[in-house]
Amino acid sequence: MKSSFRAMTLLVVAAALFLVVGAASLANAGSQAKVTINVAALRPGSSAEAQKQFDDNVALFEKQHPNIAVKPVEYAWNGATFAAQLAAGRLPTVFTVPFTDARTLGEHRQVADITAGVKKWAYYKKFQKTIIAEATTSKGRIIGVPYAAYAQALHYNRQLFRQAGLDPNKPPTTWAQLRKYAKQISQRTGAAGYAQMGLNDNTAGWIATTVTYTLGGRMEQGRGANATATLNSRFTVQALNLLKQMRWTDKSMGSTFDYTWPTINQAFAAGKIGMFINGSDIYTFLVQAANLDPKIYGIAPLPLAKQKNAGVMGGGSIAVVRPDTKGAKLNAALQWIDFFYMEKLVKKAAALRDARILVANTQPVGVPAFPIFNKVQYDRANSWIKSYINVPIKQMNPFLKGIFKQNLYPEPAASTQSVYHALDPVVQAVFADKNANVSALLAQANDVAQKAIREGK
Amino acid sequence: MKSEERTGGLLSHNEWARRDLRWLFGSAQALLFVLLILIGLGPIVWLAKGAITPTIDTLRNPLALFPHGAAWSNLTEAWSQVHVGRYFWNTVVLAFGSWLCQIVVATTGAFVLSVLRPAWGKFIYWLLLGTLFVPAIVLVVPLYIEIVHPPLINHSFAESYWAIWLPAGASAFNVVLMKRFFDNLPRELFEAAEIDGAGPVRLFFSIVLPLSKPILGVVSVFAILAEWKNFLWPFLVLTNSPDRQPLSVRLPAIQPQTQIGVLLASMLIASLVPLIGFLVFQRTFLRGTGLGGALKG
Amino acid sequence: MISGESTTAGEPVAVAGAVVARPRVRGRFSPVDWVRRGGLSAVAFALPMLVIFTAFSWYPITRLVVLSLQSTNLVDPPSWVGLQNFRDVWSDPLFMTAVKNTAYFALLALLFGYPIPLIAAVLISESRRFRGGYSALAYLPVVIPPVVGVMLWRYVFYEPSSVGLFNTVLGWFHMGPYGWLQSTGTAMPALVVESTWANAGTTVIIYLAALMSVDRDLYDAASVDGASLWRKVWHVTVPQIRGVLLVTFMLQIIGTAQVFLEPYLFTSGGPANATLTLLLLVYQYAFGNSIGVGFGQAAALSLMVAVFLAIFALVFLRLTRSWSTT
Repeated sequence: MKSSFRAMTLLVVAAALFLVVGAASLANAGSQAKVTINVAALRPGSSAEAQKQFDDNVALFEKQHPNIAVKPVEYAWNGATFAAQLAAGRLPTVFTVPFTDARTLGEHRQVADITAGVKKWAYYKKFQKTIIAEATTSKGRIIGVPYAAYAQALHYNRQLFRQAGLDPNKPPTTWAQLRKYAKQISQRTGAAGYAQMGLNDNTAGWIATTVTYTLGGRMEQGRGANATATLNSRFTVQALNLLKQMRWTDKSMGSTFDYTWPTINQAFAAGKIGMFINGSDIYTFLVQAANLDPKIYGIAPLPLAKQKNAGVMGGGSIAVVRPDTKGAKLNAALQWIDFFYMEKLVKKAAALRDARILVANTQPVGVPAFPIFNKVQYDRANSWIKSYINVPIKQMNPFLKGIFKQNLYPEPAASTQSVYHALDPVVQAVFADKNANVSALLAQANDVAQKAIREGK
Repeated sequence: MKSEERTGGLLSHNEWARRDLRWLFGSAQALLFVLLILIGLGPIVWLAKGAITPTIDTLRNPLALFPHGAAWSNLTEAWSQVHVGRYFWNTVVLAFGSWLCQIVVATTGAFVLSVLRPAWGKFIYWLLLGTLFVPAIVLVVPLYIEIVHPPLINHSFAESYWAIWLPAGASAFNVVLMKRFFDNLPRELFEAAEIDGAGPVRLFFSIVLPLSKPILGVVSVFAILAEWKNFLWPFLVLTNSPDRQPLSVRLPAIQPQTQIGVLLASMLIASLVPLIGFLVFQRTFLRGTGLGGALKG
Repeated sequence: MISGESTTAGEPVAVAGAVVARPRVRGRFSPVDWVRRGGLSAVAFALPMLVIFTAFSWYPITRLVVLSLQSTNLVDPPSWVGLQNFRDVWSDPLFMTAVKNTAYFALLALLFGYPIPLIAAVLISESRRFRGGYSALAYLPVVIPPVVGVMLWRYVFYEPSSVGLFNTVLGWFHMGPYGWLQSTGTAMPALVVESTWANAGTTVIIYLAALMSVDRDLYDAASVDGASLWRKVWHVTVPQIRGVLLVTFMLQIIGTAQVFLEPYLFTSGGPANATLTLLLLVYQYAFGNSIGVGFGQAAALSLMVAVFLAIFALVFLRLTRSWSTT
């Protein structure tokens, strides 16, 4: 029995060791005197220069706030895994979410309530009403700081325009023109004349909604859970039939129909696409992660139909804080948001400093953006950094001149992602099936969306 | 590879002598050979070719053979720009840990069930068999929630390799396989060792394990391959740690921003270990697969 | 995670009077006696298996049932909702779509992937010298990581423009180019073709092993009786490997019902949900939205699939018990 006893001891010791090693690997880092916050940095795959630019900002902040340590964390908004990341405590302290999702998250208390801290800021009162509303819950609590706004825009490849015999300084202003140009580009250059997102991760529905807005339609009437879904309005039918014609009759849309946000940008940068719709702020991504050659880049306002409600859909990004952040950490988080996201919009010194760091790391300065406060402030901020602007601003003239003449409208407010989700299969059917029955499919989609709205999803 | 002169026996000697049957079977086999080369080997050979072909050539004409020479730079770019090496290492670490856990669980478990045979052994064995009826993939949701919110422990295992290593050990197939092997070991050996005063630990390490090399080989080879091929679980667990993801999770994620030549090179590197492992351990693989399927009631 | 293979091997013949376990003493249970009889060491040796299986197999299985009756979003504490999740799944139009698609995939996979490996295995079994080589060739695609296989087929073979590999070949005959993955009619068959390519090798090897183990005397006896080739196949081969054929059939159904990787990586369930399978729907329920409301439905659907497959397996084994060889 001696050996069996020895065996027991051996096994118990081994088990204990195992547990200890396991526990040690689980234990958090030892406590520090400073406050440490993790902050969302760049998308995975960003260039080394972009990362250096970010690190420079971090260094500066830490110098100004010696009691705060900032740890950058690679980050990209991922709706699918957000809940799990949150539950797992894996989100950075400060991270960003699109306008689309911010309010839903706030209503479900999945981001921190920062009303008190934000109201203390000097420029709090200057936020544009519609913009700050994107980060305010139905109970009036502020759950994020909108720091960037954009409008949907038409991006086009000036080089392909030239090759197709089109004037790159005269982008299309009507849908009929766009259709004609797309056909011309695809016939003369072999690239896709016009491409549109078609992946069923809600981006297909998002762009379909955008096009519908430009024709004068909307996806919802009313507010909250009582909103009525209007997915199958004649405007949506029109938008999808337009798509159908370009896809099957003109054959001007190339051969890839499952683009999503990053992949369509990359295809465009690679010269495969003549025109496409995406947010007006993607230039940074194109340069930082898609190796765009700036010479080919052009951006124009979306063509609008001559309809009463025809307009451009807007969007933006909001900086939010993890819901379990309290006390000193919450203060630190708000200070970081103020420093990194907001200061350059309101303080000249900060704007200049930010521009200098960007330029030093060959990052774009002057990417078209939208007023967070009011146009006066916006123009002033732009004038501060005028000398640092290194984006091909002349190529962006069509957009910069034209966008302020257009009406900007927010995304559908209730169950936004569910509305897009319901539209995804309709867009895909149009791409995949020559004889897709658009009206019938939209009627189905409308039911699905209506159900989601009523259930508050 | 043994070259056996015998066949399955379907065709008798006389039938082999008949010209028309020989022709039929012969040509069918020749066709099979061509198809196997084309279908089994073809895509892999193409992958190897594509991995060292410049992207432009692959895009222009995938079936051309090096019209402008080979581009070994694809491989070096895959290693340095795309950091395939890092993901390769991650895969190795994950495979090693999963293998270890599976071996420990299967050998000790089968030892208990087959050799020690406690009173509660039968009960446990039936519980194990029961899990064979549960399709592995439907456990993904509860397992995921368990990883994120473990009961009793106030710490999430998401993004941790432990969440991949430990569940890998829960393979009833391994335990059953090993138990059957142990069952076939001669009992006299155990009895003799016992008479010599050996306790269960000695029995395990000095008698059972050394005799189990064949089955350990089979289980190991399949364990490592399974982890190398694994996608969904590491994808869910490591979604937000791109640096620590294995090859199978990382490659689709970098596809949009990688040119196809470099992507193919990365895919080839990802396939090297299983391919070479297969060629080296062919007999173990083929025998093990036959074991799993050939039931003789 | 468990590899895709499983076996329902029958109980091995029990050895009477297992060696190390001592005969049990009737009467009061004494801890010291238990330890002396080796009880403690049995528990100690079984600990890894028990801990791992409890934590990662038995507990999640029971948790699945609990989850299907709750509404969870990972952040707030879960609440009980009874059968509401099941009702939600049942009334979701995508559920029927997923059922139909999964059945379609299973059917196509059976048509492609069941007889062809058998024919191949028969041919290989009659080869004198190259059996090993043929086996290796057939098995090669199985060892390629599935992700690599899917990416290869998706971005090269099935590439929809005229420079896709298949489209290039078709171009020689002035056909195509086709968007294999982009049309609702061809997307699922395209997935099945790749899936068969990647998995048929295992089946070939299993059949081969079974064929090689058929008693040659049976064939010789049949030949002596004057049986033709086809009669030998029908009356000797098939009955002898019936067990394997039936089990492979059942395992294939169970495996294809859980297909996830191909629809996810090839088409994300598109185009227009033409390749949405049951497990992909589970994934979409669980991870398809940012506020995490779908875990209950995901659990309910998982449970439904698991129960269905378990019943299928039991019924199948029962019905075919009399057909298996002894």
